[in-house]
Amino acid sequence: MKKIKFFLNFQKEEKWLKQMAAQGYQLKKQGPIYTFEPAPPKQTNIKIDYRHFKKQQDFLNYRSIFEDSGWQHISGTKNSGNQYFKQIDDNSYDDIFSDTTSRAGRYKRLANMMLFMFVIILPLVIISSTKGTLGIDIFLNPRTLYYTPGLWERSGLEFWQAFLFETPFALMRGLSSSISLAILISYVLLTIKSLTLYRKASKSSGNK
Amino acid sequence: MRRDKSLPLTETVYYILLALTEPTHGYVLMQKVEELSNGQVRLAAGTLYGAVENLLKKGFIVSIPSDDARRKVYAISQEGEKILHADYQRMTHMLSVTEKILNGSEFK
Repeated sequence: MKKIKFFLNFQKEEKWLKQMAAQGYQLKKQGPIYTFEPAPPKQTNIKIDYRHFKKQQDFLNYRSIFEDSGWQHISGTKNSGNQYFKQIDDNSYDDIFSDTTSRAGRYKRLANMMLFMFVIILPLVIISSTKGTLGIDIFLNPRTLYYTPGLWERSGLEFWQAFLFETPFALMRGLSSSISLAILISYVLLTIKSLTLYRKASKSSGNK
Repeated sequence: MRRDKSLPLTETVYYILLALTEPTHGYVLMQKVEELSNGQVRLAAGTLYGAVENLLKKGFIVSIPSDDARRKVYAISQEGEKILHADYQRMTHMLSVTEKILNGSEFK
């Protein structure tokens, strides 16, 4: 079974995956869609870390530490960020973090990544906006999206005919800059949201 | 004398450095820390990994070549030995000064 869902809050995501497992769906893979495997309903402890790795060997070493201590790596790649672990040894520590600072640290790394994406995308949006056609100015003055010469001086039926004819093309022109601007704004919001989660997690002690 | 800004070490860092005077890989390190601390410091995998990464960055420990491609072996560095010793002396002083003041009192 496949599911599409988006989480920024790791605790909520862990809870949802736990519920899915209790209903008989074991997480098999995530990224970006959740793939579940039907299985007998089972109490499953799933925890998520957020890390990127420079080298494949670093990633292997990381996974070994978890697997040696009773936590099976279910999903995640060297560059995926989200790393999913399932507790397979009942005698092991029942969390992948043993203090508040490290439990909150994953949100800090997530926020850094979102900020990094924003910084990467920002110059692209600035460059395209200074080039005129794909700019912020289209939101201030949407008329620039229409290329028909003398369109805005026309009136009556003559205006509406030309206006409606060009509107689909104008929307297409506007769309690409709207999308890039929307992506940029999303990264700002994602950065703020993950920083909020970081602060919240830093304060809550012992709350898993 | 100016004190190193890494001092005092946290209990976790102190035990990790102490455990790594004998090179070993991640999981054994977790067990050794628990053993050395008399079961007081139990580290979960993610927390240990973060602590180790942090110590590598600070240069207090190094990763040394090993036969196991899947498991890195860590060892304390010279820099790490210095800081461990400095923290040991800090605590020795605390103990001796405490004993001197509270000597003979009901605290003993």
